[in-house]
Amino acid sequence: MLISKAKDTNYLTAVCADAQALGVQTNMALADARALVPEIDVAEDNSATAAKALSKLANLFTRFTPWVAIHGTNNLYLDISGCSDLFGGELNLINRLHSELHKLICPHLIAHISVADTAGAAWAISHFADHDRIPPGENKKYLSSLPLAALRLDEEMLKNLQLLGLNQIGDLFKIPRKSLAQRFEQRLLSRLDQALGVEPEPISPRQSVPISFVQKKFQTPITSVQILAQVTHELLVRLCELLKKKNHAIRCATLNIFSTNSRSQQVKIETSRKICDPDPLAILFKEHLQHIRFNLDDGEGVEAVKLESTLTEHSYSTQDSLDFKDTFHTSTQADNEHALYDLLDRLTNRLTKSAVVRFTPHQSHVPERAVRFPASNITNPNMSWDIYQPRPLCLFNPAIRVEAVAMTPDKPPILFRWKNQTHRIIRASGPERISGEWWKNDTWTRDYYQVENRNGARFWLYREGMYQDTESPKWWLHGLFA
Amino acid sequence: MTSYAEIQVTSNFTFLNGASHPHELVETATSLNYHAIAITDHNSLAGVVRAHTAAHQKNIKILVGARLNFVDYPSLLCLPTNRKAYGRLATLLTTGSRRAIKGQCKLYYSDLIKNSADQILVALPPTIIDHSFLEHLKKLSGNSHGNCYLAASYNYDGNDNHKISQLAEFSYLSDVPLVASNNAYYHLPERRRLQDILTCIRERCPIKQAGFKLQANAERYLKSPDEMARLFSSYPEAIIHTIEIANRCCFSLDELEHCYPKETLTDDTPAFDRLAQLAIKGAQCRYPSGIPIKLRKQLNHELSLIKQLDYAPYFLTVHEIVQFAKSHNIYCQGRGSAANSSVCYFLGITAVDPSQIDLLFERFISSARNEPPDIDIDFEHDRREEVIQHVYAKYGRDRVGMTATVTCYRARSAIREVGKALGISSDIVNILSKTGWGSSRRAITTDDALESGLNPHDKKLNLVLKLAEELIGFPKHLSQHVGGMVITQDKLSEIVPITNAAMENRTVIEWDKDDIDALGILKVDILGLGILTCLHKSIGLIKLHYGKKINLSKIPKDDSKVYKMLCQADTIGVFQVESRAQMSMLPRLKPQEFYDLVIQVAIVRPGPIQGDMVHPYLRRRDGQEEVTYPSEELYQVLGKTLGVPLFQEQAMRIAVVGAGFTAAEADALRRAMATFRKTGLIHKFRTKMIHGMCARGYTNSFAERCFEQIEGFGEYGFPESHAASFALLAYISAWIKYHYPAVFGASLLNSQPMGFYAPSQIVKDLQNHGIEIRAPDVNYSLWDSTLEKTTCENNTANENTNSLALRLGFRQIKNLKKTDAERLLTMRKSGYKNIYELWTRTGLSKVSLKTLAKADTFNSLRMDRRTALWSVSALNAPPTPLFPDSPNNLGLHVDSGQTYLPNSQPGEEVTADYETLRLSLKHHPMSLLRNKLPMTDLLENRLLAQMPPNHQVKVAGLVLVRQRPSTAKGVLFVTVEDDTGIANIILWPSVFEKYRRVILNAKLIGVIGKVQRENEVVHIVASHLTDLTDKLAALANPLSS
Repeated sequence: MLISKAKDTNYLTAVCADAQALGVQTNMALADARALVPEIDVAEDNSATAAKALSKLANLFTRFTPWVAIHGTNNLYLDISGCSDLFGGELNLINRLHSELHKLICPHLIAHISVADTAGAAWAISHFADHDRIPPGENKKYLSSLPLAALRLDEEMLKNLQLLGLNQIGDLFKIPRKSLAQRFEQRLLSRLDQALGVEPEPISPRQSVPISFVQKKFQTPITSVQILAQVTHELLVRLCELLKKKNHAIRCATLNIFSTNSRSQQVKIETSRKICDPDPLAILFKEHLQHIRFNLDDGEGVEAVKLESTLTEHSYSTQDSLDFKDTFHTSTQADNEHALYDLLDRLTNRLTKSAVVRFTPHQSHVPERAVRFPASNITNPNMSWDIYQPRPLCLFNPAIRVEAVAMTPDKPPILFRWKNQTHRIIRASGPERISGEWWKNDTWTRDYYQVENRNGARFWLYREGMYQDTESPKWWLHGLFA
Repeated sequence: MTSYAEIQVTSNFTFLNGASHPHELVETATSLNYHAIAITDHNSLAGVVRAHTAAHQKNIKILVGARLNFVDYPSLLCLPTNRKAYGRLATLLTTGSRRAIKGQCKLYYSDLIKNSADQILVALPPTIIDHSFLEHLKKLSGNSHGNCYLAASYNYDGNDNHKISQLAEFSYLSDVPLVASNNAYYHLPERRRLQDILTCIRERCPIKQAGFKLQANAERYLKSPDEMARLFSSYPEAIIHTIEIANRCCFSLDELEHCYPKETLTDDTPAFDRLAQLAIKGAQCRYPSGIPIKLRKQLNHELSLIKQLDYAPYFLTVHEIVQFAKSHNIYCQGRGSAANSSVCYFLGITAVDPSQIDLLFERFISSARNEPPDIDIDFEHDRREEVIQHVYAKYGRDRVGMTATVTCYRARSAIREVGKALGISSDIVNILSKTGWGSSRRAITTDDALESGLNPHDKKLNLVLKLAEELIGFPKHLSQHVGGMVITQDKLSEIVPITNAAMENRTVIEWDKDDIDALGILKVDILGLGILTCLHKSIGLIKLHYGKKINLSKIPKDDSKVYKMLCQADTIGVFQVESRAQMSMLPRLKPQEFYDLVIQVAIVRPGPIQGDMVHPYLRRRDGQEEVTYPSEELYQVLGKTLGVPLFQEQAMRIAVVGAGFTAAEADALRRAMATFRKTGLIHKFRTKMIHGMCARGYTNSFAERCFEQIEGFGEYGFPESHAASFALLAYISAWIKYHYPAVFGASLLNSQPMGFYAPSQIVKDLQNHGIEIRAPDVNYSLWDSTLEKTTCENNTANENTNSLALRLGFRQIKNLKKTDAERLLTMRKSGYKNIYELWTRTGLSKVSLKTLAKADTFNSLRMDRRTALWSVSALNAPPTPLFPDSPNNLGLHVDSGQTYLPNSQPGEEVTADYETLRLSLKHHPMSLLRNKLPMTDLLENRLLAQMPPNHQVKVAGLVLVRQRPSTAKGVLFVTVEDDTGIANIILWPSVFEKYRRVILNAKLIGVIGKVQRENEVVHIVASHLTDLTDKLAALANPLSS
């Protein structure tokens, strides 16, 4: 029920009523709260999610007025000048909003909705008063008994005012404006004036996120994948032109395909670099379009397609090099790099993200943990493998159990058997002793040997455990050198 | 059996590198039959003394040395072969440390060359061995005249054979012999885990990200000689060379000799003669009518012992420091066992008249004990730095150093660091570290974890707890000892490296108190004591306001009114007897004479309490129990304390008189109990003592009881001499408190921080004594609190002392800078007429003026807190001194805001007072809250004394002190204050656990419990607690009520 946020320590940012009854409060450290009530439920406070939800709410409310603005993390301003009569008056509008919220969105949502002449006054009574409406022109009367915090002031200013015994908004009315102006920052008077409507506080409507899209409808439904691919290419050309004007380039795009039987299909693509060139994008779409099947018996065909860019990034025109002599070389290099990325994109789009990985080094003494496989589009060409000891090109994971003969306590093996073959060792180096990562409950110690048989094949063997230990040690083949 | 010596060992005194204590390394090396073990910490000698002590009476040689890490050269080991070479190594390290910041050392190869004579230098191969290393090696070999070796070790990195054969080749080419080493960082392979944790702490990263910063294996432990021989079977000479090095290093720390400086000698008189002269001269001053026979004998005995042990220069050095303090009018007094010495008394070092107490000189100096005496002197706490700087200036920085203190990991810090390294979230670490009470050495256990609501079966948690336990006691860094100074005749830097302290103008040696004790190096403790400052200020104020010059040593010790005050436990501010435990003991012990006070100081100590000596003593004193002595000879020892041993000296004398110990043996017994609790030594003494006593006709049970009592004293008892020194200060402060209460109060406030009580309680106490307290004011206050004549002279109740009122000083105001206050004072002249004038004259910043206004200091300008703040807020433009009366400026103070600012409520005033002064002269918060609390039938604290025992009561008040003394077996004592007085609350462990959170967090608390009384002492045994802190917060805001 609780929401917490990590800032080195976990603090509670919001607490439900039940928990409050048990003594849990906001701004408490999570561990303290746990000590109080061990069985509390906790979810991470994700400000991005919350902001998204609020903007969704704001969008919904545009049905009541076009002027909806987001204020802070949990406030919405609705400018209802002239709209309230459409909904049967201000009070009815408030009730309507409440019921919409409960029915449509979340029955548990607690909202304070109030109406006043100004945004400031409405904010004040919604936060600090029981009534939800200030009749026109009566702001001063209604506000004067509210605490100063209702003026949307910061903590420091409130503290200063409190020291002077100024606790209610009404206390300010008794003081000459000049005296206030002399002593406090402009903010105080401005907030006061905004609440009273002396200073205008316009509500600017939210800017909707511009989503670029292009679409095409067909007179006759199309049933051929080839044609669909062609149309997609056309749409891509148009979309790219559109985006180029805005200096944007594509990272993700979605193709919506609307069929005659009112079925719709979506094809999504992702790229590892920003692209504003229709050709490579078309190739990515083509991979997917090949799998689209139409039920021709039912006369199914495509009525319309809509191409949307769902994620774009700013593109800046880049200059490759000032050195003209070198231009040829660098452009080839860049082309090569682009070609690699395009290949990666095509593989990823075809095989899914998790199927295409690359090797990256990881600092661990345990050989099988010294490499990681992140997804391919995490591209970091500047990585170095800082491993001092020789490691085999081919590493068996898990290692292969073998039989070996060696001198105690830690000499290299003389021979070992692998796949029914006995390898006599003529050269060896080691041991390299590696102990397990104890914090992961590894308790083993391994002695690694690099050995070479008569044919010149080189192996990486290790012995787990020591000969003096009670359990007799086992030998493993962990890798092959070239 | 192979003979082997390890020449490369890093102990945990290379902070956050080595993972074993020096004594662990030495013990393991001994049990492995090493020929010798070197301690080679990096650029430091901090751990060598501990190794040296651990090797005492063991069949192992310690090679003292260091690993030198250079700025411009590969690292090498430096092992001095004799005393001179050791001095050069210490000098080298001093040079390096003094040019770097605290905790670091900057060494250059050229430094080494200057100090390389008679040092064995062992080159350490770098990770990558290439041709440049060969060049370095050749250079080193050329510079060190055959004293050079090349170390080789098996690292188990897969490349050992190749690397060591390469080193052998280099050794041949450069003519530097190869020597085997295992480069040990810990004594057992199991310590690898702790070493990994230390690496994480050092690199400040969790273990999951530590990667290659960690060691790949656990090979850096002390291996058996046979194993070393096996590893180096192809290079047997490398093993032989370890023995060769060990045999060439003939230096032992026992050779260090400490000479006291000769500056104290003005002419050719030998030190001892000079000391004897001074002592006799001092004796004649103290006893103008002739020295009592007993003392004369004592003096002769002491002098002969001092002569025998050659300690005269030490006494002269201390005497010189005391003389300096006296000539600069700094109060000082010796404490501790030094007061056992009549020589110290006659030299003016201590103040306790030896004819009044039993002196046991052997407690101070013992011929059998090979340890120097320890003279601790207290100086006024705010002037101690002058004395310290005098010592530096007089003897020079290369001959003086502060003793170090080794800061170790305690339960809390250990759990914090280990938790961080293993990636436990910081809120859990917080919870865990809070379960420990204070910074204890006791490890946090799974039980504690369970108590704080964590899962005790969690594997990771258990790992954290286990490693934290191992980490406890590991040295973290060196800091300076509170006051121990080492002074030498020759260069101190040739005895021990000197490093810079974090504090400016201080230099610190690398060894701590125990280390220099073990080596017989003398130190003087220059300590700070708040009560001396307070007394000095009191004497000044008495002279100022009463015109009387008080001589502290002449104050009569038999003022019955002072003892009456002490019996009533009216002792807030009185030295030593002001704590709650002391206060509850005073009415039971009822001191009537000075010696009672000595007992009072000594009895409220863990030693007597744990030895269960308090109750027998009180019963005997009250006549409820017959005073008996087991024998006539013990009557001599215990007569003064009614047959109950209360002092350390008595415990020792029982051993001497009752069991036939020599004086020196008795002292060894005390030490055995104090410092070496773990060793078997104590058992030997036990047998000896009980046998001795039985042989002299005491019963076995009595002998055992005696021994158990002595045991309790070891660490926690006071010697009588020390108790007497403190009792003297206690009496003097009580005397001043009784006769000049206002003066004493002002001095206490001006000497803060000191003592047991916060300013608010001191002020409250003064008010209870009928002294008027005046609020700080811009026109009347000074930085310190001052005394002012009251206008109404008709108050004749209590002599003339009440005619003084106390004016609080600016120092009480939180956040007010001293420089601002001084500016205000210098510009004040005949006073400020209005706020604007004050502003223009002083030019203080608006922030400072606001601080003054918030503290309500403008009353003399007829402004209360709000109007002052209102006026100050309007001071926006910088003052224009050219046109002070310009209408623009004048307009400001016309608008004082009085007409429209709301009147302030008492609750707001009190809250603001507490916020700025930490006290309020207007109201006590409880007087305003009493009727607003959710608890009914609250009892006023002043009525507690009238309640019958076991009566259930409810009280509420501010939490002043929380205490959980180690002697009280988990019982928590809380002092709660309301507007009428204080209540002493006792919480049994079960109640404490239940209300842990309430009691640790609440500022205002409600208590339900039962009254418990013992004589005149009243406690409430709590059964239920309520946190009322939110009511306190509500006071500040009239809207919320």
